[in-house]
Order: sequence, then structure tokens, then C-alpha cells
Amino acid sequence: MIQSILDAISLGGLYALAALGLGLVFGVMRLVNFAHGELITIAAYMLVVTVNLPLIISLLLTVLVTAAVAFLMELTIYRRLRGVNPAIMLIASFGLSTVLQRVYELIFGALPKSAVVAPFLNGAFKFAGLSITISSVITIVLTVVILLAMGYLVEKTSLGLQLRAAAADFRTARLLGVRSNRLISAAFVLSGVLATCVAFILVVENPEVNPYYGVNITILALVGIVIGGISSLRGAALGGFVVGVILSALNTLLGNGRVYAYSWLFLLVLIILLVRPGGFLSKGSELERV
Amino acid sequence: MKHGGYTKFSLQNLLGPLALLTVATYFLNGASTSLQLITQFALCYFVMVLALQVFVGNSGVLSFGHGSFALLGSYVSGMLTAPVHIKGHALALNQLWSFLVPLQVNIYVAMALSALISGAVAALTGILLMRLNGLAAGIATFALLGVTYNIFFNNKQIGPGSQALPAVPTITNTYILLLIAALSLVCVYFFNISRIGRTILATREDAMAAPALGVSIFKVRLIAFSISGVLAGLAGSMYVHVAGTFQVQDYYLDFTFMTLSMLIVGGSASIWGALVGTVLITGVGQILLMMEQNLPVFGLHITIPLGSRAVIIAVTFVAMLLWRSSGITNGREFSLDFLKKLSKKN
Repeated sequence: MIQSILDAISLGGLYALAALGLGLVFGVMRLVNFAHGELITIAAYMLVVTVNLPLIISLLLTVLVTAAVAFLMELTIYRRLRGVNPAIMLIASFGLSTVLQRVYELIFGALPKSAVVAPFLNGAFKFAGLSITISSVITIVLTVVILLAMGYLVEKTSLGLQLRAAAADFRTARLLGVRSNRLISAAFVLSGVLATCVAFILVVENPEVNPYYGVNITILALVGIVIGGISSLRGAALGGFVVGVILSALNTLLGNGRVYAYSWLFLLVLIILLVRPGGFLSKGSELERV
Repeated sequence: MKHGGYTKFSLQNLLGPLALLTVATYFLNGASTSLQLITQFALCYFVMVLALQVFVGNSGVLSFGHGSFALLGSYVSGMLTAPVHIKGHALALNQLWSFLVPLQVNIYVAMALSALISGAVAALTGILLMRLNGLAAGIATFALLGVTYNIFFNNKQIGPGSQALPAVPTITNTYILLLIAALSLVCVYFFNISRIGRTILATREDAMAAPALGVSIFKVRLIAFSISGVLAGLAGSMYVHVAGTFQVQDYYLDFTFMTLSMLIVGGSASIWGALVGTVLITGVGQILLMMEQNLPVFGLHITIPLGSRAVIIAVTFVAMLLWRSSGITNGREFSLDFLKKLSKKN
């Protein structure tokens, strides 16, 4: 029971991190970056490929590469699409996601690559007579630390202020002197860093990395940011968390019917959207600016 | 999507796409057996892209849910026409509800039924979905696709689950498929220039002004969604009668993105765009496939490395969006007016 609750919280935290990465980018340029999943994938590949190096160096390399891919993604593709209809941008990000999947397939092969990353995180320990997996505890701790760090960044620093201002009203923020190019690049780099954190947690539990590794979690995080309320970072993280917890709870509760967990999750999502189209942190049904 | 669309009947707008559809089918169909099959699949895709055009193109609301209607159409058509002994004995179908086994109708009756059932389901789900706007609508339609796929993939009482339903009778005559596609095109054209069609364009162009003039956004979107559900069901049904098997995986993410890409590359605001997108993406894909296999393309031998085809298609797609985000046709209908301009210059 305790283990199930811990699993639910850790999965929720993981999805919250992924949702936060998507939410950051959405806030500054109204773009639902589906290719965020491919940032998670490249980070996972990097972790697996550099497994023989000391963990800290491997992590540093991974962050660098992932952030660079995120930065280049913005510079080469999304910068040219600014101000285009959001539906077109979404479709373009699907296209980019396919491009990256194919490129990964060419570089790393279609078969999964795997390696044991951070082996000390696998296993379980006894606590008050209960067996608890280390990874679930580490995931929760890591998520809390990252969320706190992000919270500090967003609430207390100048960059965070600019990000929030841009998320609230990008045009006004620009008029008030926020440098849009720099801010959008920063948001992408940050989303790359978050993708690395997500990839690290994922790889510890499931080291079989294939070109589609990040797709599933991105879809669920996307669902999360929409039901949480896409126009605020807090809503995005909360939405991701809720999706993770619901999915985990469904998996526990449904027993043999757990193959239908996604159906129940999506039904819940539909209901939430119909009751609160702007997400559950929104005030009533204001018209979306998208 | 600020331009595109049309309000008056114009013969060239209708005959242009019909002519391209017929001529392309005629030439490709006769070329070789493998091209014939590609043509047949392309005709199915075209009907699907038309379905998307009616809703996504005209209303400006993105839908990822149309794969569910295609899946449903394909399922209904496949189950109603697959031979009884197959349904009763195939290993993939051993848990099937017994009342489903003896059901059997004529292939064209099955197609009509699948279109109607898909349309009905679209209308019912639309009552809920059409209340949403923007991104929420996109995610909600995606949720619909997720639920449909999840149920059909896992439930072995209603269908083959993750396996295939074999031995679905096929339509081998390409011209029957062409006829269906052409009829769909004509229907969509007359719907688009109808009063309701024009009203939907109005809601796409200005979601504030249209309601102020007494238009119910919900109502017109629901009508478009239902009609596009009918067409998506028909497309799914055509697909299953070309492929000869029903498989749930055929109508999931790849299918959804491929058909949406066709619409957007061509230009989502027009029928001409839907057709150009379908022809282009199918054509480029096929040419690259031939290059990969070192077959001559228009008499030229250009070889590209194995596996690079998918990369090239995806890169082209993204580059295309960067170059012209409202599609190659810019959402305009087919027109010969440029000829007049040319002759005036001379």
C-alpha cells in the first residue's frame, strides 16, 4: 500500500517535470512542443552511451547535449514559425519529432540500446517492516528538489519574472523590455535541462532506449498541461502530477483490467476538459487566447 | 489561415480537382501492379483528407480524433464482410462474441453502414467535443482517439484485438474507388459552398463576430464534425477493402499524422489543397521508395541510402511548413485565372 502510494507520487512527480518542460516553452511562444519527447530520448541515449564515464561527467555531458539540441531546435525551426497559427506550429513540432526519431534511428539503430545507469538506485530497503524500492524514493526526492529549484528560479530571479510575464502576456512583456529572442532561447534550454532530469529518472527504471522512448510520457504530459491550465507554469506542473497519480492509481486499482487504464484516464480528461475547458486552475471558462 | 475558402459556385473550382483526381488515377493505375495498389491506398487517404478538410480546414479546430472514425468504419466494414468461417475459426478471433460471427452483408451495404455508423458516433461525441476550443479541443479529440484505440486494441470480444482480422474481401477495381472518392469530393464541394459551409468559414475567420451575427459556433461545428465523421468512416471502410485485413494499429498515430500532414502540406482551407497534399505526399514517398530500392525514376537511376526515405519525407514536411505555413495551394481552390493574367500581360 505504502509502496503504491510512493509509486503514484513518484510517477506524478516525473510527469510534473515533463509537463513543466512543455509548459515553459508554451508560456513564451504558445507552442506545444511535441518534440520535447525527442529531447527526453536524446538525453536517455546520452546517458546510456556514456555509462562508462563517472556518473557526474555523464550527466554533465547529457545536459549539455540535450540543451544544445533544444537550443538548435528553436534557432532553426521554431524561430521562423513565430506568430504562425498555433495549430500549424503543433503540426510542425510533430514533423520535427518525426525527423528526430528518424535521425536517432539512423545514428543509434532501431533496436533498443540499454545499459545499467546508476545501479545503486535499483533495489529495495526495509522500512518499518515494509519493502520500499530505492528508485521511488529517489525519484520523489529528486522531483521535489528540481521543482523547488524551478520554483525559486521562476519566483525569485529576473529570468523567472520575465518567463512569468511572457507567459501572462508576451506582447506586453516585450513592450516592457523583455528581450524575446533571449528569453525564448532560455526557455528552450531550461526545457532541455528538465528533459534530462526526466530521462535520468526514466532510464534508471527502464534502460531500454529506442527512438520512440520519450513519446509516451510527452503525450501524457501534454494531456497534463491542458487539464492543469496551460497558461500558468504551476497549472502545468500540477496537471502533469495529477495525470501521473491517476495513471498509477488506475494501474493499482484496476487489477486485470489495467489494459484499459488509458481509456479511463482519457475519459477523466474529457470530463475535466468539459467542466473546466481552461484547466482546473482557471477561473471559470474564459476564452483561451490561442 | 486568414485566406482561402470560397463562397460562390464556380465550375473550375469543382472540375479542376476532379480532373486531376481522374487523370492521376488513370495513369498510375495502369503503370504497374504495385503502383495500382499505391493508387488504391491513395484514394482511401484522399477521402480521409477530405474528411479532415471538412472539419479541420473549414472550422480551424485541430482534430486528432478522426482516426477513431476511420477505425470504426474499417472495423464495421471488415466484420460485416469477412467470411463466416474465418470469423468462427481464426485463432485471432477465438474470444469473439458469438452473435458477431454470422453477421454478413454485401460489401457496398457494409460500406454505407460503416459510413453511417461512424457519422452517428461523430455526431454523438461531437455534442460533447464541440463545446471546446483551441488546444483543449485538440487534446479532447486526441483523448477520443486514445480511448477508441485502447478499447479496440485490448478487447478480443468485439474484434481481433492487437491481431489482424484476415480475409476481408477486397475491391480490386480502382475505378470503383475513384468513383467513391469523386462522389465524396463533389459532396464536400457542395457542402462547403452551402449556407452552412460558409457559416463555418465565418466562425473560423472570426470567433467573436460570427456569434454576434447570430451564428451558433457549436451547431455549425457539430454539423461539420458529423459530416466529416461519415467521410472518415467511409475512408476507413475503403481502406479495409483495399488492404484485405483489419488491424487496429493501422488507424493510430502514424495514420493520424500522415493524413493531417497531407491536409496541411496541401493547404487545409480548400479541396484543391487536400488533393494536392495527398498526391504530393504519396508521390514523393513512392519516388523515394523507388530510389531506395535502386529502381529507375522517370528513366533516371538515383540511389539513396536505405532508411533515409523517412528522414527526407519528414524534413521536407517541416521545410514546407517553414516556407509556406498555409500550404502549397495557400488554401486556394483550383483556378485558371492566372491564365487570364498571363494573356493580359502579353
